[in-house]
Amino acid sequence: MSNNRVTRRQFLNYTLTGVGGFMAAGMLMPMARFAVDPILQKKAGGDFVPTDKKASELSDTPVKVDFTFEQVDAWYKSKVTNTAWVYKDGDKIIALSPVCKHLGCTVNWDGNKDFKNEFYCPCHGGRYEKNGKNVAGTPPLGPLDEFEVKVKDGLLLIGKTRANTLV
Amino acid sequence: MFWTSKDIDEFLKQKEFIDTALVPLVILEGKDLGIKQSASGAEFLMSLTNFIEQQFKGRIVLTSPITYTASMSKEDIITAIYDELVAAGFKYIFFITSDHEWNRFTTNYDMIWLPSIPLGDMDEKVKQSVLSDQLRQVIPVLSSKWSKQ
Repeated sequence: MSNNRVTRRQFLNYTLTGVGGFMAAGMLMPMARFAVDPILQKKAGGDFVPTDKKASELSDTPVKVDFTFEQVDAWYKSKVTNTAWVYKDGDKIIALSPVCKHLGCTVNWDGNKDFKNEFYCPCHGGRYEKNGKNVAGTPPLGPLDEFEVKVKDGLLLIGKTRANTLV
Repeated sequence: MFWTSKDIDEFLKQKEFIDTALVPLVILEGKDLGIKQSASGAEFLMSLTNFIEQQFKGRIVLTSPITYTASMSKEDIITAIYDELVAAGFKYIFFITSDHEWNRFTTNYDMIWLPSIPLGDMDEKVKQSVLSDQLRQVIPVLSSKWSKQ
């Protein structure tokens, strides 16, 4: 025991370095975090929202698929349910936004018995072809937007909207 | 369209297309018996009208809900609101409520009456399907009026 005696000087050295180290770390850590903050920020948007639609159930006829996500509007949090019209074009899954490009009503597939196999807007009679192309002579001036899609574990995931890439 | 500054700007620009106002009429009761019912009725009507707004955003303006008590004069309320919306330039003005007291106004105004369904304890999915069913009752009322011109 007498061989390993810690002198008073050594003991004070160790303890002061230890405590000093903690204090320095306490001061430097927030600074370092502050400096690299942009990297740590969580990315909003671009997230894919899961739906309960199986990719294998889709056919070449557009079907309505609902998906729900949480929306924060200042202090008001709410669950928003959106819909997409989803169909298969060969092997490719296409999801179109139901929002009419005229004034934002919701369009429906086969929504009017006079216009079979078209999307129809009940507000002002806007019409779109299956790929979202607006029919000339009806109020809308552009094609329906498209959703990004992904398939995970056989289920369909829906992402952000983008301009129609099919027309 | 909602009754917000941004949407009303849009309405002012596109009056020929956005020609319909939808006014929710909501009763407020404070007595022990009625308070719960009035709250659940308001919840139902707000959910439903928001859903209608989503479907018909480009043609309907959903006004802020009109809240009244049983003692207020219904005639005064409805005529005042109606005149104001006519002045704003709306061609079609629909009132929607789940209070059957308004039934006597159906001859002079476009009144949509729906029985209130308590949504409070419902699962999100069930709520959606209930509201879609209710919407299906409302669409014919709107479209028949629109097609008459």
